[in-house]
Amino acid sequence: MAVRKIRVYPDPILKKVAEPVEQFNKTTVEVVQDLVDTMLDAGHSVGVAAPQIGVSQRIVVVDVSKSKLGKTNNHGLLEMVNPEIIASSGSQMMREGCMSVPDYTGNVTRAEHVIVEFLDRSGQLRCVEASAFEAVAIQHEIDHLDGLLFLDRVSSLKTDIFRRKNK
Amino acid sequence: MNHFALTIVGRDRPGIVSQVTEILYNLGCNIADSSCSILGGQFAMILIVAHPKFSNRDSFGDTFQPLEDADLTVALRVLKPGGEVRPEIEGDLCMISVYGADKPGIVYRVAKVLGEKNVNITDLNTKLVGTQERPVYVMVLEVTLPQGIMEEDLNRWLMPVRDELQVDISVRTIPRVEL
Repeated sequence: MAVRKIRVYPDPILKKVAEPVEQFNKTTVEVVQDLVDTMLDAGHSVGVAAPQIGVSQRIVVVDVSKSKLGKTNNHGLLEMVNPEIIASSGSQMMREGCMSVPDYTGNVTRAEHVIVEFLDRSGQLRCVEASAFEAVAIQHEIDHLDGLLFLDRVSSLKTDIFRRKNK
Repeated sequence: MNHFALTIVGRDRPGIVSQVTEILYNLGCNIADSSCSILGGQFAMILIVAHPKFSNRDSFGDTFQPLEDADLTVALRVLKPGGEVRPEIEGDLCMISVYGADKPGIVYRVAKVLGEKNVNITDLNTKLVGTQERPVYVMVLEVTLPQGIMEEDLNRWLMPVRDELQVDISVRTIPRVEL
């Protein structure tokens, strides 16, 4: 149980693809707990991924229940080991910021609904259908496991809207 | 560091950015914020640049002459100290799309409403699309709403402009999220 320091870009661990958790053990549960502690300590945070605390393993925690945008539509605290998005639909845009990329925000379009499969803290396989802000938070955190920052997802206003060439 | 706003405009062709940035690099200028885009057939570059020693226009001498010789128009603005610092703009973000048959006054009328209501425009792009016979004007703005102002207020204020100019206007809030 410990609040860990949030790694900030250009820390190379943020750009690494994290390793799947092969053996579920005491360390796994410790990482989960550290993620929860670190998220709570940050106050405004709604999610942390293991690479952000220096652990290159596929573990994230998400909890949007205390945020204005997520409080009416959430699954409470989600502790996810080896999470995988198995279906997604729709799209929504938010101006994202990230603790690992301070002082910068960017418009990112992500799926509106996702179905995510993962192992919970006790190693049970679970499946959750999330939407709106919770879906964005889940996608943002899982991106961290693939070495992706929201900077990899931003697109310029102009190219988004005016990309199509006149025929 | 002294900061300068540099704008360069000229007929679009490959090689403009490299010619400009080679000169800046050789001068020892840092490029901070910049926005460069093709507008019509022109390529327009707007850059905030910094130099550790240069203090005024004369410091640059005739270093931009090769650009002028290549038929680019160059303008340099010397920033006052602090002029390079982006102010903290708080408040909800909104995207506004305005589009319809091209007619005079679309930009002005929308901007007038926003200005009067103290809504800060932080990004604005317009494009003339459609065909020659039926030109369609598209404008996309990103704005920051003053405290207490909601998406619905913007919609209400813009409704008279929409009816009068017969354009379509949509407003959507972009939630700011910290993850």
